[in-house]
Amino acid sequence: MLTNFKTYLSEKSELDETSIDEILNDVRVESLQKGDFLLKAGDVCKHAFFTEKGLLRAFTIEESGKEHIIQFAPETWLISDRSSIYFNEPSALFIEAIENSTVLFISAEFMGMIAERSPKFQKANDRALQSHIRQLQQRINQLLGASAEERYSTFIQKYPDLLLRVPLWMIASYLGITPESLSRVRKDLAKKNFKS
Amino acid sequence: MANKNIEIVVNPPAPHFVGDGFRVHNFIPSAYYLDMQRMSPFIMLDYNSKFHFPPSKEPKGVGVHPHRGFETVTIAYKGKVAHHDSTGNSGIIGEGDVQWMTAASGILHKEYHEEEFSRTGGEFQMVQLWVNLPAKDKMSPPKYQGITNDQIQKFTLPDNAGEIEVIAGEYNGLKGSASTFTPVNLMNAKLKKDGVASFSFPAHFNTAILIIEGSIEVNGKEKVGTDKFALFETEGETFDIKASEDAVVLILSGEPINEPIASHGPFVMNTKAELMEAFNDFNVGKFGYLED
Repeated sequence: MLTNFKTYLSEKSELDETSIDEILNDVRVESLQKGDFLLKAGDVCKHAFFTEKGLLRAFTIEESGKEHIIQFAPETWLISDRSSIYFNEPSALFIEAIENSTVLFISAEFMGMIAERSPKFQKANDRALQSHIRQLQQRINQLLGASAEERYSTFIQKYPDLLLRVPLWMIASYLGITPESLSRVRKDLAKKNFKS
Repeated sequence: MANKNIEIVVNPPAPHFVGDGFRVHNFIPSAYYLDMQRMSPFIMLDYNSKFHFPPSKEPKGVGVHPHRGFETVTIAYKGKVAHHDSTGNSGIIGEGDVQWMTAASGILHKEYHEEEFSRTGGEFQMVQLWVNLPAKDKMSPPKYQGITNDQIQKFTLPDNAGEIEVIAGEYNGLKGSASTFTPVNLMNAKLKKDGVASFSFPAHFNTAILIIEGSIEVNGKEKVGTDKFALFETEGETFDIKASEDAVVLILSGEPINEPIASHGPFVMNTKAELMEAFNDFNVGKFGYLED
């Protein structure tokens, strides 16, 4: 049970198996059905969510009803609205399970408790925040200036198996392009790379 | 020659939908005891037991998806499926037909209920089987064998007992219609009530039967009913099947491919690195393109 989260903790801290098992007694784990929500816009986000199994997405909805996908979280990814948690303010995000999933609810207190026990975890956590900011900057930059093909190419490196797990319209929404442009990019790539 | 006896009878697991057009019981690899290595070279078996699909304007089915590293075999008992793939093949698999697709280095395909069948609705019953390929053949070019029922070799049993459709392998000297990469026997025994058929396969071959219609008795002692899957021991060579009522039985027996298996979704390779390569090749279009 919770193999992915155990691996995550043992890589990021110097805690041994017994201490990790002890910590895991306190963690909240939930099984979600596809379509269940972990966060809705307007609510204050209280947790980060670790995907032990399954797939989550964070997205916003425009007034017109159009969705924009901000992030996917397959196995071993964390997803949350950090600023909503930190500033205790209503979130603009929805977080939804798009497959049946097993999710750990990670509170700030829980993170603090592990960091107290493990200086290595504290450092890893700081680094994770910095790398999250780096990711966001790269994403802003790509959404402002990169071609559809460049966006797609970054996407498949970041999420190698998602093309098989989510509908194309969701990928297009994440990339900020139309489903038709995504089809064109994939068709062009196949023309270039397919040797029959 | 020693008798080959049943090791375990598996009831059909709870069904789930593949896409919206196939309501299947997965026997291999998720049922207890039927993992990929135990059943090799048969690494997946989905059974759409008889199910009535209501009429539908939009054909139900499974959209474009890839495969690499193995072969898919579709056996249609009831209903019709239309398929298309990225190498340009397309066709209709009707009742009694078999489609043997070698995905090998990679193919994209989609499978939908055939239009007319979709419009009228009706009974649907199929088996989809994945047959693994040995490491040396996993990256060979994709190919396709569409085998209509009239092309399937049929062995007429004595005493008006029925017939054996030899899809692949050999029955009493009659060779099957499909070519395979490793020794595989795949046949439908269509038996009349009280009809008996005897089979003989090497002891170490992984051997099983699936009861498509009716009920049977194996080796004069064990009864197996409709929709059940019986796995045989890997000792002994011969067994016989007697139909307790008119019956159709799918018989599978193949030489195990004793190589490591790394699998994820529609890719079945030998190592994790090869799996990662499969994902990447699929993502960058090396499997071609197929419109949904």
